[in-house]
Amino acid sequence: MDTMNDKLIVPQKFKSLLYGLIGIGVISMVAGFVLDPHRAWANYLLNNYYFLSLAIGAAFFGAIQYIAQAGWSSAFKRIPEAMASYVPVAAVFFLLMYFGMHSLFHWSHEGITETDALLAHKAPYLNVPFFFVRVILFFGLWIVLIRLLRRISLKEDVEGGLEHFYKSEKYSKVLIFIIAISFTLFAIDMIMSLEPHWFSGLFAAKSFIAAFLHAATVITLIVIVLNKIGHLRMLNHSHLHDFSRYIFMLSIIWGYFNFAEFMIIWYGNIPEETMFYVHRSHGAFGVLFYANIILNWFIPFLFLMPRMTSRSKLFILPVIVILMIGQYTELYYYIWPAVVHEAKFGILEIGTYLGFLGLFTLVVTNTLSKASLVPKNHPYLEESIYHQF
Amino acid sequence: MITNKKYLVGVFNDEHTLIDAFEKALQKGVVIEEVYTPYPIHEILHGMKNKTNITTAAFFYGLFAVVMLIGGMYYAAVIDWPLLFGGKPFNTFPSFIVVTIVATILTITILTLFTFSARAKIFPGKNAVIIDVRATDDKFIILLDQEKMGVGKPEITRLFEANGASEIYEK
Repeated sequence: MDTMNDKLIVPQKFKSLLYGLIGIGVISMVAGFVLDPHRAWANYLLNNYYFLSLAIGAAFFGAIQYIAQAGWSSAFKRIPEAMASYVPVAAVFFLLMYFGMHSLFHWSHEGITETDALLAHKAPYLNVPFFFVRVILFFGLWIVLIRLLRRISLKEDVEGGLEHFYKSEKYSKVLIFIIAISFTLFAIDMIMSLEPHWFSGLFAAKSFIAAFLHAATVITLIVIVLNKIGHLRMLNHSHLHDFSRYIFMLSIIWGYFNFAEFMIIWYGNIPEETMFYVHRSHGAFGVLFYANIILNWFIPFLFLMPRMTSRSKLFILPVIVILMIGQYTELYYYIWPAVVHEAKFGILEIGTYLGFLGLFTLVVTNTLSKASLVPKNHPYLEESIYHQF
Repeated sequence: MITNKKYLVGVFNDEHTLIDAFEKALQKGVVIEEVYTPYPIHEILHGMKNKTNITTAAFFYGLFAVVMLIGGMYYAAVIDWPLLFGGKPFNTFPSFIVVTIVATILTITILTLFTFSARAKIFPGKNAVIIDVRATDDKFIILLDQEKMGVGKPEITRLFEANGASEIYEK
């Protein structure tokens, strides 16, 4: 099987298409800032967080493969690596959010601590300078470790030997430890602090699981697409089964966390906790509450349960699309009631999403084209190519 | 020589000789009664065509359990004996779900255990049927029913010996 010279060459046409998408995104953002700045910043935050969580989830996915010494996935490890290379781009966007703090986070308003006792109490943590110190710290740690793992991985291609594998495993352990702490705090900063009066113990853990779930989904999507256009020839039904097991398992955990959070709050019935759901129980948000559960848990759970469907691209692809929509509706459900206060959805939202999608795809394909699509000297490569169960 | 022994047993030392002999025997049209191995082997599972439907059964047991549990709790809490409980509605659906998940897992486990036991004809206190005690250790066994094996005994003996059987005997 000729996997040694599998290299992705991005056609100029496809690149132009991506630049077109980015152009649409820029136009939508500019139009948004002129017409409705709050909505534009909400869009900015949503899409930024959406694609960052894919990148971080992918880095986590790759690290888990090393730590578990998983054989089956080693031929596909360039895909999570490429997705994780989006993190530095996201860092720039999150730093630019400095100009939108006022529109997004009402705890950042001048003088609010004088009239609001709770925000005054939280001020030592929730203040603009410390907020950006955290952003810089988290992104710094992520970028350093992701770069390091990528460099070891590329070095392994040239030099071979087991040493790089053990090094990757060691740094992967550091990476999951850091992601577990930093990404949960990051989700609290970016999403939960939109409602600074709200208390929930499970929100951060749920956000982390959501990132892992949707990253696993997009990794599977990229693998299937690359296979369709003639790369990654070794992809077989067993690989697909393992990928869909990830999606299946994580969507169950997502459903579990989502339910556990809601159920505790509903049963405890404390105003500080319930107000989040009360604000989101009317009109379109009342529908979105159920839509989230159906898109992110019910459909993947039901469709990927049988052995036959979880081994076929025909069934996995629609589930992937549904989960990508599900991630959007989940974030929309959190952000819009807090920032925009009503369920506005239109060309602005679609345009901004397409813009970020184009940028994300550009970065990922660019990184993919820089190295061989199949790692060359990974110790488990042979096992992965002939994976069968 | 006429024997009244029912089975022909082929003993193999390792997986590869077993698979070779197994596949060649299947090609010749030998009907294999059973294969005993210390661990599951893909080729044997495929070759014996023992496809199980127990997962489908488990799914329907689960569906049955969910309907019965939610129905039962709804009946108890809303229809039969509604209680005012700290301002909660009678139909406290989210709190039913926790019980439903746990009890559904229990129901599926118990019902599939019974289904499996009935299909495999095993029950507590049954004596184990062990054709060759070494199959519980590190040997691989192909078991043939002398009356139904489809091909003559000398031919099978030759086939097994040519493919690395360490021992062939009747039982």
